[in-house]
Amino acid sequence: MSSEPIERRVSYIGDRLKGSKCSLCGKEYFRIKDYCGTCGRKSFSKMKDIDFFYEKGMLEVCTTVRQPTNKFVKLGSYIYGIVSFHNRKVRVPGRLTDCILKDGDHIDISNFEDREVVPRFRRRYTVEKSDVIPTISLTFTFADEYYPHQEYEIVEPRKEYETPGIVGYGVYVPRFRIKEPTMKRSVPFIDEDSITAAVEAGKLALIHSGIEQTRIGKVYVGSESNPYAVKPIASKVAQVLRLGEEDKTEGLQSVDAIDTEFACKAATSMFKDATALVYYPGAHIPYTMVIGTDNSQAAPRNEIGGELDFFVGYGSSAFIFGKKDVITQIEGWYSCTSDTPDFWRRDLQPYPRHGGRFTGEPAYFKHVTKAAKKLMEKLGLQTRDIEYFISHQPNVSFPIKVAKAIGFKEDQYMPGLQVAKFGNTYSGASPIGLAAVLDQAEPNQRILLVSYGSGAGSDAYSLVTTSQIEEKRNRQKLNVQYQAENKYIEYVDYDTYRKLKLGL
Amino acid sequence: MPQLCPIIMSVGRTKFGEHYEKEPEKLIEEAWLKASISAGIERKNLNAAYIADYFLQITNKIGIEEGFLSELTELHIPMEKTRSFNSALLNACNAIQAGKYDLVLVGGVEKMTDRWEKIRDDLMLLEDPWSYYAGCTPEANHELMLREYIRKHGIKGENLEKLNIALAQISVKNHQHATRNEYAQFQKEIELDRVLAERKKANKSLGLLDFAPISDGATALVLASPEVAKQHASQFVCIAGSASATDYITFPAREDRASFTASRIAMQNALKMVDIQPNDIQIAELYDQSTFLEMISLEDLGFSKKGEAWRDVNNSCIDYQGFYIINGRELFVNTNGGLKADGNPLGATGGAQIFETVKQLRGEAGKRQVKTEKQLRFGSILELEGFGTKAYVHILRRD
Repeated sequence: MSSEPIERRVSYIGDRLKGSKCSLCGKEYFRIKDYCGTCGRKSFSKMKDIDFFYEKGMLEVCTTVRQPTNKFVKLGSYIYGIVSFHNRKVRVPGRLTDCILKDGDHIDISNFEDREVVPRFRRRYTVEKSDVIPTISLTFTFADEYYPHQEYEIVEPRKEYETPGIVGYGVYVPRFRIKEPTMKRSVPFIDEDSITAAVEAGKLALIHSGIEQTRIGKVYVGSESNPYAVKPIASKVAQVLRLGEEDKTEGLQSVDAIDTEFACKAATSMFKDATALVYYPGAHIPYTMVIGTDNSQAAPRNEIGGELDFFVGYGSSAFIFGKKDVITQIEGWYSCTSDTPDFWRRDLQPYPRHGGRFTGEPAYFKHVTKAAKKLMEKLGLQTRDIEYFISHQPNVSFPIKVAKAIGFKEDQYMPGLQVAKFGNTYSGASPIGLAAVLDQAEPNQRILLVSYGSGAGSDAYSLVTTSQIEEKRNRQKLNVQYQAENKYIEYVDYDTYRKLKLGL
Repeated sequence: MPQLCPIIMSVGRTKFGEHYEKEPEKLIEEAWLKASISAGIERKNLNAAYIADYFLQITNKIGIEEGFLSELTELHIPMEKTRSFNSALLNACNAIQAGKYDLVLVGGVEKMTDRWEKIRDDLMLLEDPWSYYAGCTPEANHELMLREYIRKHGIKGENLEKLNIALAQISVKNHQHATRNEYAQFQKEIELDRVLAERKKANKSLGLLDFAPISDGATALVLASPEVAKQHASQFVCIAGSASATDYITFPAREDRASFTASRIAMQNALKMVDIQPNDIQIAELYDQSTFLEMISLEDLGFSKKGEAWRDVNNSCIDYQGFYIINGRELFVNTNGGLKADGNPLGATGGAQIFETVKQLRGEAGKRQVKTEKQLRFGSILELEGFGTKAYVHILRRD
């Protein structure tokens, strides 16, 4: 869309599915209204804000669209229909996403109707490369398929800890995969990118934490595949997830939002900052959020940089840090950096490249080993004091080799090794490993997380779980194992994978 | 107080279809000249002009339409632009009834084929922006409304098959009518099986031959107060009823999605003005952007019972006599071929509906002239803007 003010207005309503409800008669609207049409003037100041972002709807009627309008052409054929919320009080138009329809397929529409759907945050349609990327949540998936509906229930925190840590987390990977002999890798649907995944992961983290989203004071988004060279992902996350107090008249969120970049450690680097910020007494920031998100880029296999095309995935993970109801405390950290050009992407270039000779020994292994050993030394830890070891996972062999070199055994490093299920999700890679471990860890266990970012550097963290890790577990249906072993996973061939990854 | 009924002195139109070589100026001029010659009036007699078009500014970059018309006619009279032809006509009626003008030119022109590749996006944004953002197409709304209709009335099994056939029959019938219309875009018959085959090919409930085409064309009429009309002619077709109604632009947000509320209200108000019942109307021009819209309009305007129009169509078309039989009465519908076969150049479309009704009421429809036991007296026209967002109903009476 060429006119940014229109884009902002459509996004403001459409991303969040904002609406209004008359507190006098109960009538609901999709869009913000100052008064109710039925009750008239007496309803002024009696309208309540509502939104349908965390709700489930019902696909009432639908049809197949096989000749979309111009901006939707890249979506191919899709199902489009009318979705109702709140027991048919409100109806919105909606597109069914994550659904590949083939031309010859006979579709019995009645199989889709009267089924529960969940809104998904996606790209709206194709625009020129230099335009603002339009997004919308008028896209839906069935609640009884890959993404179940989950209530966002605010839970009053009951315990404050001396040492801050993680209070909730979420991992988002799409339902599409490419399966090759070495690994399965997650593939975005055509309307997804690193922005949409960041929002989805953040949403899941909020649901898991049970904290009120207004209490988040800062959000960090680490990525190396932001579709914008200039424009943060974090601002979109802050607005769609309504982080911080909201000033409705101005449409502002009282939150600090920042994007970070350091190849695959863009997110983990901020864990310590996010932790420190909630600890700082003058800041009055009870919670912070860190998201690692990437639609990991790789050149096609026959081009320079194409070796990455065997390993890249797509996904995002989000972590919320605070001092109350902590599930794992952050005991300590150590970071190291050197200017090593092992992997880079120049501005305006679509795909990154490897400096072949640097990739292994002087880059990944040196930094990961150093960070892990230094932190253990700093905290006086032996490998036997650590239950789980997670390192950055660009492939299957590197993390195993480095774990063994440091002295870890299979039962310590295997639970966090997720790359064979999702591929290398860049900024989200070691965090997804951490999430997989948190999904199964017991109270009072120690986790050593070591990220690696090309360029190069590593962050090592020692985390100790609390008793609350088990209490919160059942709030998250969409955990790592659920997404890895879901029966609704759809496998695509190489050409489809490239097309989907390229996006709208 | 008896209503002052403006008189349609004359009508004119171009052929509808693709006018690749003609500028919009040429099209409107052709229509206007036909109307003025037939009315026997000169441009300088006109008090005002209303011009209807949706997309001329986008498709032909013509700027302010009124200025374009002023330059064309070399007139400096008041001119106003509307979207639909029937909206222009309603405004002209209001002005004549208010005593402001005596002689008004009403015109409509559209040149959609100049923007062939992009016009569906333009249409969809005009019709329902939120649905557009969610992925809707101009055709999808018709299909959703058909689904709503089927579900609301619990139509299934054999009846559902009959409904689907009835919709195809509407297309076949309109093409048949258009073979006798020298102005129509498609002057050829089509087979029922082809309509069904197009649906099957697209794997959809409505196919290519269920929808009206994209067209170029222009229409015009001269409207006068009864006093002025008397000076020029003896046989009159007057506008006895004219009404419009509006509905929400977002289709899913509407209370009733199985029919058009705006059509129903506009018709009720128009009937009240004329003080007649729907069954007093013998000939109707309905806005068949799709076959389903012709069918649903039969219900919305009160001709058929709710949930029954498909039966009326189906029964009438088994051995089609040139009219529908509804409640034992004959109703001639879209005798020009409707939007489906006559063509649908948006701003001009309503003019073709009026053209047809005037010609029929005056007995000047030539090969298309309908034969009725009782002399034709009342004809009604329904035109929609957007997807039922606005409905205009005009009831014409032969005096």
